[in-house]
Amino acid sequence: MLAIIKKEFLTYFKSMTGYIFMASLLFFVGLFFVMSNLLSLSPDYNTVLSNITFVFLLVVPILTMRLMAEETRQKTDQLLLTSPVSLTEIVMGKYLGAVSVLFLTLAITWIYPIILSTMGSVTWSEVIGGYIGFFLFGSALIAVGLFISSITDNQVIAAVATFTTLLLLWFIDSIIGNLPTDRIAGMIFAGVLAAAVAFIFYMATRNLFVSGGILLVGILAIAAGYIFKPAIYNGLIGKVLSWFSLLSRYEDFSLGIFSISPIIYYISFSGVFVFLTVRMLEKKRWS
Amino acid sequence: MIQVENLTKIYGQHVAVDSINFKVEPGEILGFLGPNGAGKSTTMNILTGYISATGGRALINGIDILEEPEEAKRMIGYLPEFPPLYGDMTVTEYLDFVSDIKNIKGADKKKSMEKIMDLVKISDVRGRLIKNLSKGYKQRVGLAQALIGNPRVLILDEPTVGLDPKQIIEIRNLIKQLGKDHTIILSSHILPEVSAVCERVIIINKGKIVASDTPENLSKGLGNSSKLSLRIAGQEKQVLRAIQELQGVKYAEAQGVREPGTIDVIVEADPNVDIRKPLFNAMSRASYPILMMKSMDMTLEDIFLQVTTQEKEVQ
Repeated sequence: MLAIIKKEFLTYFKSMTGYIFMASLLFFVGLFFVMSNLLSLSPDYNTVLSNITFVFLLVVPILTMRLMAEETRQKTDQLLLTSPVSLTEIVMGKYLGAVSVLFLTLAITWIYPIILSTMGSVTWSEVIGGYIGFFLFGSALIAVGLFISSITDNQVIAAVATFTTLLLLWFIDSIIGNLPTDRIAGMIFAGVLAAAVAFIFYMATRNLFVSGGILLVGILAIAAGYIFKPAIYNGLIGKVLSWFSLLSRYEDFSLGIFSISPIIYYISFSGVFVFLTVRMLEKKRWS
Repeated sequence: MIQVENLTKIYGQHVAVDSINFKVEPGEILGFLGPNGAGKSTTMNILTGYISATGGRALINGIDILEEPEEAKRMIGYLPEFPPLYGDMTVTEYLDFVSDIKNIKGADKKKSMEKIMDLVKISDVRGRLIKNLSKGYKQRVGLAQALIGNPRVLILDEPTVGLDPKQIIEIRNLIKQLGKDHTIILSSHILPEVSAVCERVIIINKGKIVASDTPENLSKGLGNSSKLSLRIAGQEKQVLRAIQELQGVKYAEAQGVREPGTIDVIVEADPNVDIRKPLFNAMSRASYPILMMKSMDMTLEDIFLQVTTQEKEVQ
């Protein structure tokens, strides 16, 4: 796995991608540092980090677009998949390779809080907490990009699809605010979910009987929920969609609060997408 | 060393490999022959663990490639149809990376890399970016990649594609040399290559094995009567009559005049009759000098065309 991390990391700096990623991120950190710390005479560094989270929207697709897509297109995946390394090691290696570029970039930006500390009082615990949140937030977005890159063998498609997905994740909170919250809508949504699960199961196994069973059990469960505890359908759509709300979990960090639950959330979010990427590669071998 | 049992691969409706069985003994060089799309590459991709089979199994030294992939892959060096190269790396960087993922460490790594680069003659381009290399060099870097870690089994998918004739001969000799202590499966649609390098040939067509034997036996088994091609100085009618009078001649056919004053003839003898001496004596007595005589054994090309177009089972 170490070999793959090393290769991915070095590949970023053999082409322009690594430099573009670092330059854009560093430029915006510097810009916001000057604007919100130096010019406004504020020692609060965490506002800088939370102000530039939007830069991830643009730079994460650049970082992740070629991760899997280019291997498939150049057929170099044949080398990786026929080597004595497991799929999980390959995917983890690629993921950590991309994440290490983010890590390196953030390490460079440490110069700003250090500059700040020479001129005023910096609460280091807040800064460290903010950096951990910022880093894990970026890592979670990279995991999404990694997964999308494994679906296609075209880098441009991977980049555009990643950008669109991240944009959707960005606006998910405002989308949630406009969704119906009544019980009927919640029930319909649950029904759609059950149907989707049954459909995915049918696509994977082609077993009509079991898929039908899953759908039936789902509908019965929804009906049972309505009879015994109808309150669960209140605002159900919003509740489910908010699982994907990465940005709302960042609020604590931007206020300088260090809490464990968003950290666990980001790490599990990344884990799920790394796992999905492994499944995607596995599926390609079986099709 | 390699054992394939009822291996099947189905893409949607298309059966790419149709329950094939074969075995490769240690130290054997097996040629895999077939028209494009016959299932050669698919079989190789399954053997190396790149894709999964729909049914059946493949054992490498007794280890199932699907059940213990990492253990099995350690024993295989694979050169796919398109060499899996990273254009942005130099040759040394690339081989270094391959050594790393194959878990070769320390002093061994440097030494084996040097040895392999010498073997496939890429030492002089070691510092160049792979994307700037010619097709022939790329192919050889691909081969070097397969040799790293000194795997006991080598699976080479069209290893001489894109090389010039001199390089082809070099690579063939290299494969023969490697065959002394490796088990090799080699695919090709270039027939002389297979007959030059391989000890045994499997001809595959539409996902099925249609023939499996040594190149020599394949030629004999199908060419059951011996044909001769002759060029004789003389008149067509007289020459033909003289030949047809001989015992053991099945038929003689004139092929026209290619050289003034001579006639080209094809003579087919009865099975298991060597008519070369009687023919020579007869022509000599009648003073029709034989200017050329060569046997027309079935070449691998003929066999290949015959088994792949007729789908005839050959034992």
